[in-house]
Amino acid sequence: MTAFILKRLGFAAITLFAVLTIVFFIVRVLPGDPALAILGDQASQAALEALRVRLGLDVPLYQQYVAFLGGVLVGDWGISMVSGRPVIEEIIKVLPATLELTIASLILGVVVGIPIGVWSAVRRNKLPDYLARIGSLLGLSFPAFVSAVLLLLFFSIQLRWFPVISSGQGGSLADRLRDLALPAINLGLIMAAYITRVTRSAMLEVLNQDYVRTAHAKGLVFAVIVWRHCLRNALIPVVTVVGLYLGILIGNSVLTEIVFNRPGLGKLIVGALNQRDYTMLQGMMVIYTLIVVLVNLVTDLTYGLIDPRIKYA
Amino acid sequence: MKARMGIALAGLLVAGNAFAAGTTLNVGMGSADAGKLDPHVATSTPDKGLLHWMFSGLVRIKPGEASPEFIEPDIAKSWTTSDDGLTWTFSLRDDVECHGDYGKIDAEDVVYSLKRSANPEVSAFAKDYTAFDSIEATGPLEVTIKLKNTVPSLLGLLVPYHGGNIVCKDAVEALGEEYQRTPIGTGPFMFAEYQPQQYVKLVANPEYYRGEPKIKEIYYRYIPSDSSRDLAFQAGEIDMIYGKQEQTWVERIQKVPGTKVTVMKPGEMSVIHLNMTMPPLDDVRVRRAVAHAINRDAMVQFKGPDVTLAALSPVPEGHLGFTADVPTYEYSIDKAKALLAEAGHPDGVTIKAIHTTLPGMLSTMEAVQALLREAGITLEIETVEHATFHEQIRKDMSQVTHYAAARFPVADVYLSQFFHSDATVGTETAIANFSHCAVADAEIAAARVETDPAKQLALWATAQQKIMDEVCAVPVVQSMQLWAWKDTLDLGVTVNGSLNLSPPVTEQAAFSE
Amino acid sequence: MTSPSHSPRLSRSAYLRIALASLAAGLFKAFNANKTSWIGLAVFLIVALLALLAPVIAPYDPLDQNILNRLKPPSAAHWLGTDYYGRDTLSRILWGARISLTIGLMAIGSAMVIGTLIGMIAGYFGGRTDLLIMQVMDVLLAFPSLILGLIVVAMLGPSVANLVIAIALTAIPPFSRIARAPTIAVKNREFIEAGHALGYSHPRLMFGHILPNIAPEVLVMGSLWLATAIRVEASLAFIGLGVNPPTATWGGMIREGFENILDSFWLALFPSLAILIVVFSLNLLGDGLRDAVDPRLKGEQ
Repeated sequence: MTAFILKRLGFAAITLFAVLTIVFFIVRVLPGDPALAILGDQASQAALEALRVRLGLDVPLYQQYVAFLGGVLVGDWGISMVSGRPVIEEIIKVLPATLELTIASLILGVVVGIPIGVWSAVRRNKLPDYLARIGSLLGLSFPAFVSAVLLLLFFSIQLRWFPVISSGQGGSLADRLRDLALPAINLGLIMAAYITRVTRSAMLEVLNQDYVRTAHAKGLVFAVIVWRHCLRNALIPVVTVVGLYLGILIGNSVLTEIVFNRPGLGKLIVGALNQRDYTMLQGMMVIYTLIVVLVNLVTDLTYGLIDPRIKYA
Repeated sequence: MKARMGIALAGLLVAGNAFAAGTTLNVGMGSADAGKLDPHVATSTPDKGLLHWMFSGLVRIKPGEASPEFIEPDIAKSWTTSDDGLTWTFSLRDDVECHGDYGKIDAEDVVYSLKRSANPEVSAFAKDYTAFDSIEATGPLEVTIKLKNTVPSLLGLLVPYHGGNIVCKDAVEALGEEYQRTPIGTGPFMFAEYQPQQYVKLVANPEYYRGEPKIKEIYYRYIPSDSSRDLAFQAGEIDMIYGKQEQTWVERIQKVPGTKVTVMKPGEMSVIHLNMTMPPLDDVRVRRAVAHAINRDAMVQFKGPDVTLAALSPVPEGHLGFTADVPTYEYSIDKAKALLAEAGHPDGVTIKAIHTTLPGMLSTMEAVQALLREAGITLEIETVEHATFHEQIRKDMSQVTHYAAARFPVADVYLSQFFHSDATVGTETAIANFSHCAVADAEIAAARVETDPAKQLALWATAQQKIMDEVCAVPVVQSMQLWAWKDTLDLGVTVNGSLNLSPPVTEQAAFSE
Repeated sequence: MTSPSHSPRLSRSAYLRIALASLAAGLFKAFNANKTSWIGLAVFLIVALLALLAPVIAPYDPLDQNILNRLKPPSAAHWLGTDYYGRDTLSRILWGARISLTIGLMAIGSAMVIGTLIGMIAGYFGGRTDLLIMQVMDVLLAFPSLILGLIVVAMLGPSVANLVIAIALTAIPPFSRIARAPTIAVKNREFIEAGHALGYSHPRLMFGHILPNIAPEVLVMGSLWLATAIRVEASLAFIGLGVNPPTATWGGMIREGFENILDSFWLALFPSLAILIVVFSLNLLGDGLRDAVDPRLKGEQ
């Protein structure tokens, strides 16, 4: 087990290296000039050249690359080209808001999604099943930014329960929860929709396996069979989906962040992309890769917890 | 004893009232985050709008106006000009304090600040100051500027806008790299705090030379989603809001009780630049056909008659030197088709535009696309993301370039940046001449150094006529700046315009009630 | 895990024939057993037909602007109202279906095939192969779809085909992980061990025995991701990897509608409903397919 984790972490380092190398070269190949993005459309050619020199973009690419890798190794991620603040500082300032939102919507998704999925599978092709399926499809087809505005209109404008601007850094816990509620509901329901679908399909499969029929025949209480034996076996695909979705969520929650005015990694990365802030993009990819690698590792370890037959090689 | 109680009670009441009136101003701006906060580098609308409330210039345009005809003293209390217009001497106020502990502004600070603006190493506006021969402190509170040649509006270069924002020498030197994150000026409000993707907080400058502002705190909030910004205003979470440049926005936000909507100059003029070196646009008849096919009335209807002006001349209406007396091309599908046929394209032409995905600009271009389609002109729009757009049009890659910009309101700026051959894209001195227009070089250059105002106006008028005769570009509409705020907020001035594109929040602004 | 040299081999075409025949038979059986899958198929075919017939049945030219008649709510003349430019929303939805369905089906279809294959190979062979493949997938997965999209457009330029590539690239790693996990679980079961003992070849075990076991999850995932693919198209449009204007796509329409959501909410609502209908029909269909390919699942009648 420990060997497995160490091995995975070793490979994570390789992944990180590969991602960084790709990002480093890709952002520089992309059309769009950071100097122009910073100085704006009235800048003269001379001013643009001067800024490129100041940003260190005039030295040969391989030298920039070596300097960049060296910096990463000693934990120096550079200075944002646009704001002039250290990249790591900018990331750390918004990271808690992102993690908070991700975890809250994950919990909401699991708490809502798994029971509905199980219920839907047990009552297959009955009314509850149809309702659950329609509900989850609604959650999947509706674009997050449209549902976000609807939530705002209803809860913030009509009912005035929650603020429109959810700063994500209120002082008290109550403030923070109030800020978090709507964005977490928005993302959490989408997450729940995915989990419901996957749980239902995995449960259906397990419910039809021989041992369930046997157990049932033996007179075990059906609820016990479902919750204790079947769900455990159905969890593998669920965990896979949750793991995948988490990674995607962190990078792609930008629309929710924008509509609810929350700070977060999504906004940071899109901003960096728009401004061609190379250093910021590189830093973002480091953190993003770390999260994805970590989530994948946890996912793989969870398989073992659920199903002891799975061996780690 | 009773009397004292009475006073205490009155004090409480006053305190209560003061609280009710409010001293905190929440502003909603349409961008995701702050960019550069160094005034000599900041070029984006959100950054300029914020710095507007923090900086002073040697002179300023009267708050609420956007035209250089309203120039009045600021840090300089008076100034004199030599007869040839080449030497300007400014005498400064002695009570201008820098924010924080950086002391009083003197001639040396002003010289340092203007030299910094003229230095391309640290300033995005250096080329505006190329006519400056020398800037010297000729006394502790006296600054003398010598010019190589006259410029159309010297005072315009010294208002708190772009390079004219006066920075404090000690602050810049003490803060170094940190200055771009902690701007120090001499204006009514000073920088206090920055929360990424959230807000910049400003506080009242108690030492401000026109008196301490009544508003004590400004939260300049970054709210990129138009819908959310509107909802936050509707919910009362923000007091002042940056609007979407559209009629529908004005109509909706006006319905929020207690709202004052303001339409401000300068407008952003949407211009379709036609690359005169790329066939079929190298034929003036094709360019004229394009001009005939664009229905300006329909475009004004489309963008909103209350917030948009039709644009006829290559210089925006309201700029010093603008003339409406230019060749115009009335809307006529028949004439457009006839011109195309005459040019050897009886079946129409296909032209290509690289265009940004920014929704506001794209919608204008899509409407133009539909208008051209009726005249048999197929406009292919290749959308690219905004940074790519800027790079590619600067590299002369687009046949048709739609550009929307607001500039300092003197004809020379627009003409030089967009229609003088020095600014042609793809060259060493490129700025924004996307059409390769060179027909009015002589007039633009001559007007720049002409000292007789009447002759200068005549030269600018000729330049505009020549450009329209050749149809280097087709001006379409001018979109005004839109803001709204609660009517309990009194800015203390009539707001017709603002160079920095944000309403003037000065020492006079206060909440009533 | 070495295959004995005397293993019985079947030609590739024989595999294909067997697989197709059993799939078809299963499909038919399951379809008969499950009425909802017929509904799903019918709805999807209707949508596809409407898309095909768009040039004939659309009431207006989808590109025709009428600036004086814009942002109008649904009416007799314009059943679904008009958009920001005064274009008929219904006509644009019909025309948009052609592009959006093509993008969604092609992107997810290819991602499903490629991703499943990769995941099965990784899960089946395990060890170094697994680590290597999943490492490559992790690298891909580490790029948020926006960044991946931008990279694709920067290298290939914006077009429908490149949009398909961009979306497929973001969907391959999830499919590979979805396929890999059950493969690991299945390969340790007795019947696979037995297969090894009988000397079956790797492809035979993978396609004949493992694929039917993992197909349900993959298919369900596919029907889920189709919705995502159509929506991703909308968010990619933000960064310039959209289909160029004035061509209508559902994602693009939602994005445009979002600009005016407080004034004319139906502009975002109707294309969203169109996506919902497609996703719903595909899910019903997916359930039927699932029953068909899952050897253990029988209809409940």
